[in-house]
Amino acid sequence: MSFREKSAWITLITLIVLTLFYLTHLPPPWLLNPPSGFMFHVLVAGVAAFVVIEIVAHVIVAIRAPRDAQAPRDERERLIALKAASIAAYVYAILSLGSVFTLVHLGASSIGVSLGVFLSFILAEIVNYAARIVYYRRGV
Amino acid sequence: MTQTAITNTIRRLRFERNEMTQQDLAERVGVTRQTINAIELGKYSPSLEVAFRIATVFGVRLEDVFSYDGGAQGPQRDSR
Repeated sequence: MSFREKSAWITLITLIVLTLFYLTHLPPPWLLNPPSGFMFHVLVAGVAAFVVIEIVAHVIVAIRAPRDAQAPRDERERLIALKAASIAAYVYAILSLGSVFTLVHLGASSIGVSLGVFLSFILAEIVNYAARIVYYRRGV
Repeated sequence: MTQTAITNTIRRLRFERNEMTQQDLAERVGVTRQTINAIELGKYSPSLEVAFRIATVFGVRLEDVFSYDGGAQGPQRDSR
């Protein structure tokens, strides 16, 4: 497994775990009217945890295979990143627009709508890294 | 698994060149070992430039390394 495939696995798992952690710690009705203070603190903690986990996990992987980690991205890896990002862009566009229209229609607060857009971005990133892994495994 | 219509003889050519490793070939071509493996398995069709570089490393012509099995498509006819 290449360094960048391992990197995609690390990011995918970290995003899924932290997103589930975040959603399960938002009190209901979480998306319509989330408490701003609580949401902000958990969000900052989540982003900080994401950065720390990403750095530590990538350093460990790079130490175990320094040659792979230092190799520049080649044409296949660039193509995989582009194709995965293309899929993720559609997902983000559909989810963000859908969540804004739905939440505004349901009378959500501005914080709730912002959270909907933010979660759309996170879900699109999950799709992005999942698609990369599929292309690495199945071929591109 | 996605298979391309392009087959290749890279594995045989590596074996004939003193059992050259995928890593050796990758370093000489300028791609990762995983990309050489994906090309050998038919999971990735390289760019023309990388295909030429692979052929150059082995000192053979491009068509001695790669062949197209997708069936021939004749030239587009002008219907006018």
